Amino acid sequence: MNFLKQDNLLITEPALKQEPIVLQINGVEYRDYTTATKTLSQFLRETAGLTGVKTGCNEGECGACTVLVDNKPVNSCLILAFQAEGRQIITIEGLLGADGTLSPLQQAFLDYGAVQCGYCTPGMILAAEGLLREIPNPDDREIRRALAGNICRCSGFLNIIKAVKSVASQTDTPVVA
Amino acid sequence: MTGIARTASPETIGETSAIVAGFTGSIAYIAGGTDLIIALEQGFRPDMIVDISRMEALNFVEINFKHVRIGAATPVSALTKLNELHKGIAALSQAAEQFGSAQIRNRATLGGNIASAKPAGDLLPVLMCLDCHIEVLCRDGSTKKLALDEVVTDSGTTSLDNGDLITAINLPLQLGDNPISAFGKIGRRRELTIARLNLTVLADYQTETSLARDIRIVAGAIGPVPLRLKCVEQELRGRKVDQTFADDFLGALTGAVDAAIPGRYSQTYKRQAVMGLGLDVLQSLFGREFSLPACLRGMT
Ligand SMILES: Cc1cc2nc3c(=O)[nH]c(=O)nc-3n(C[C@H](O)[C@H](O)[C@H](O)COP(=O)(O)OP(=O)(O)OC[C@H]3O[C@@H](n4cnc5c(N)ncnc54)[C@H](O)[C@@H]3O)c2cc1C
Ligand code: FES
Ligand code: FES
Repeated sequence: MNFLKQDNLLITEPALKQEPIVLQINGVEYRDYTTATKTLSQFLRETAGLTGVKTGCNEGECGACTVLVDNKPVNSCLILAFQAEGRQIITIEGLLGADGTLSPLQQAFLDYGAVQCGYCTPGMILAAEGLLREIPNPDDREIRRALAGNICRCSGFLNIIKAVKSVASQTDTPVVA
Repeated sequence: MTGIARTASPETIGETSAIVAGFTGSIAYIAGGTDLIIALEQGFRPDMIVDISRMEALNFVEINFKHVRIGAATPVSALTKLNELHKGIAALSQAAEQFGSAQIRNRATLGGNIASAKPAGDLLPVLMCLDCHIEVLCRDGSTKKLALDEVVTDSGTTSLDNGDLITAINLPLQLGDNPISAFGKIGRRRELTIARLNLTVLADYQTETSLARDIRIVAGAIGPVPLRLKCVEQELRGRKVDQTFADDFLGALTGAVDAAIPGRYSQTYKRQAVMGLGLDVLQSLFGREFSLPACLRGMT
């Protein structure tokens, strides 16, 4: 692996990684020759064109850029794109059913009036989705805790909590009759 | 963001060693990236960025009756249940519980907290109180084991050389027969100028006699590095845990905090915040209620 030689820094285009970055996003493969310091949020928005990923602060404070990486909610502004290689990335676009139907959480956010300007919504839904994948039936405290890294400037948190709760309690019904 | 760095994603410690040993430029490891990416945004440019976040050999928790050993790239979210393994390290799981947000906990690591060496690093006072040993793999392939205060030497400064990799953190479970610990914090991360403080207490507690046979207390975020409060420890060591113990603990704690940062906690409401924190940590540690010292009750 000749990237070990520092000399290469001088003779190759320094801003480019020699190998393309290959990411699995919503089950689709994207590849790009890109800078080493490109963040996952930049890759998602600019390279993959997935503009459902919002960025607010770019420093982990607002949660607007939340996506799932291997089912766990993370701030995509605080992961370098190359760190996400080989992982399953899910953005808000990836929650839609094959026929374009909204996911239960997406629908619940609409039904419960949990969307106002909508800027925080994709991140909020993915943080909640991550919670439900880990704890299918969370209590209020767990929901608040899971969403504590997501800021909503428009609404009180109440409708958001209600929306998440409504989906959580659906999973309460026994799967096997 | 424009970049000049190369990247590497080694899967094993052996591969990492080979990569860093054969490279002459500057190296930055990236684990959770929750500090490093902010530094990159601010213009920091290492020659190579080495991702250690996917290395299995750095992501584990091992426990036996003598010690707990935690991989340096273990995410904070994996530490929140450690108290179920051993009461002696409850402080670490409590610090992990209160750390950042769910998204941050899923990425941030112990090794990154140490290497960043920030005064606000919540895990540092806990690791100091629990008397940790930090295992380091040097760039030349040699290894060393260091105490926390040997690694974190000043605000944002460590004794590590460029390319040194923290591989694991060892926590001995050795304070007497029944070590128990607790952690608490006040103040928000971004509020650099006003009251911020965290507190870790480790005690060897004899339940039948209510004796705190031994005690270690470390405060964080009040100076460049965590501060062991030896004078508070001295006052309490070997004593029976009752309301007088709590009164003296809170008195000595406010005295020590005042001495460490003269003036900052002199206002009554801040002093009360320190007392409130002390009280919370004591209650969590001993699993029972205490009240504020009589002289302060009802003060606002
Ligand atoms: C929104 C937000 C909230 C936060 N909340 C808290 C909080 O509540 N408490 C707190 O203490 N901190 C907090 N932080 C700070 C940060 O998350 C922690 O310091 C975290 O532990 C850093 O770990 P990391 O794995 O993300 O480090 P990285 O960003 O990956 O690395 C940080 C530094 O450590 C070096 N490094 C990383 N791993 C190793 C290793 N194994 N060996 C040698 N060097 C290494 C890197 O090269 C870099 O210099 C917060 C940060 C953000 C953005
Ligand atoms: S843009 Fe990532 S957390 Fe704000
Ligand atoms: S709906 Fe506007 S920020 Fe949440």
